[in-house]
Amino acid sequence: MDNLDYIENYFTDKPGPELTREFEERIKSDPGFAEEVAFYMTAREVSKEASGIAKKQRFKETYQKNRVVRYGHVRKLVNYIAAAAVLSGIIFGTYIFFRPVSPQELAGQYEKEHLQTLAVTMSGRSDSLQAGLSLYNDGKYSEALSQFENILRTDTSNFSAREYAGISALRLKEYDRALSYFEQMETHKGLYSNYAQLYEALTLMKRNLPGDAERAKQILQKIASEDLEGKEFAQEWLRKM
Amino acid sequence: MDSAGSNRYTDQELIDQLRQSGTDKRRSEEQLFNRYVYFIREGMTKHALSEDESFNAYSDTILAALDNINKEHFEARASIKTYLYQIFHNKCVDLLRKRTTNKNIVHRAEMISDRLMQLSDSARSVVQTLIDKADWNRLREKLNKLEEKCRQILMFWGDNYSDKEIASFLQYKTADVVKTSRLRCLERLRKLYITE
Repeated sequence: MDNLDYIENYFTDKPGPELTREFEERIKSDPGFAEEVAFYMTAREVSKEASGIAKKQRFKETYQKNRVVRYGHVRKLVNYIAAAAVLSGIIFGTYIFFRPVSPQELAGQYEKEHLQTLAVTMSGRSDSLQAGLSLYNDGKYSEALSQFENILRTDTSNFSAREYAGISALRLKEYDRALSYFEQMETHKGLYSNYAQLYEALTLMKRNLPGDAERAKQILQKIASEDLEGKEFAQEWLRKM
Repeated sequence: MDSAGSNRYTDQELIDQLRQSGTDKRRSEEQLFNRYVYFIREGMTKHALSEDESFNAYSDTILAALDNINKEHFEARASIKTYLYQIFHNKCVDLLRKRTTNKNIVHRAEMISDRLMQLSDSARSVVQTLIDKADWNRLREKLNKLEEKCRQILMFWGDNYSDKEIASFLQYKTADVVKTSRLRCLERLRKLYITE
């Protein structure tokens, strides 16, 4: 570790001529040290690459989510055209097109469009996490949940395992368990992407106990006003509910 | 984050935000992505790429631009849109070329040229040879085997976040604690890479 500290200080501080000469001499005369310098640079590049992959994944999620919202606008246009027909006399049509959508229906639609399968291609994920995702994508939610919970037992800070455990519990209709995982997700600060609050609202909409819809609305309003992850969905759902 | 929201900012405001630290920076990255997301459709129509290929070209464009903005290599001589479009266009052309040829080999040391350039020719040549010989796939695999927190620290480090920023993201007490933890993680990675 001493060498890594020394190497890092060389590249981050601006070394004087004496230190530069000493550092470069060591590279040329000490193969072990030269290998550590190469490792330091390569490790940084590989870490940068992993961070890029994570960002790309986040962009993909945003892109796919916004795509659904964009298509939502097209659907809205279709609704307007239908409304024109309704105006010309079809009262029943008016009811069909303009009735408010229940929170449960909206949550069900989201589940169908976004939680049917989870991406398994991220190279930044451990093998055990990938195994859990494969079980999930095979519809084995119960086994997937056990897998994610096992990961959490040994690595309590694993955000992805916690997120997937919550989603698996949601699919199993174990709403209280799902809520508990999503609430824990909120405590992970500084992540690129944290949909904890959207998932919480989604679970409440799905559970639909007295007061759940109201609580879900409050969370969605918070997401929309504070520009949090899932803002597009929050706005869309608030409009429809 | 909607594209309309990201259009509220001028180029300079967006660049300033991207050069800031903390969660605002990450939000700005998404705003930049959303702002010109329609390029993806252009890649599909003008270059006949699939949606996946065009998405990849566009994401790589944003990552390259973020890197250049971060390193202050972007000098704002052209608008962000023009700058991004040029990179995107080149990436689309590269993709089309890759379909027909297999010219995908990059001198690995070129990717880390900034730090290498700090060294004299003779020292650089030693390190460059070792970097070329390194088993990058193995290192990627070992990085994935580190525990989540270690991986996060190294990923933030790779993304040029300072130890102070990492401390606030991952709730460490001080930047010094982050530095010690980060170097330990790096050492753990090295052991995994060498021994396992």
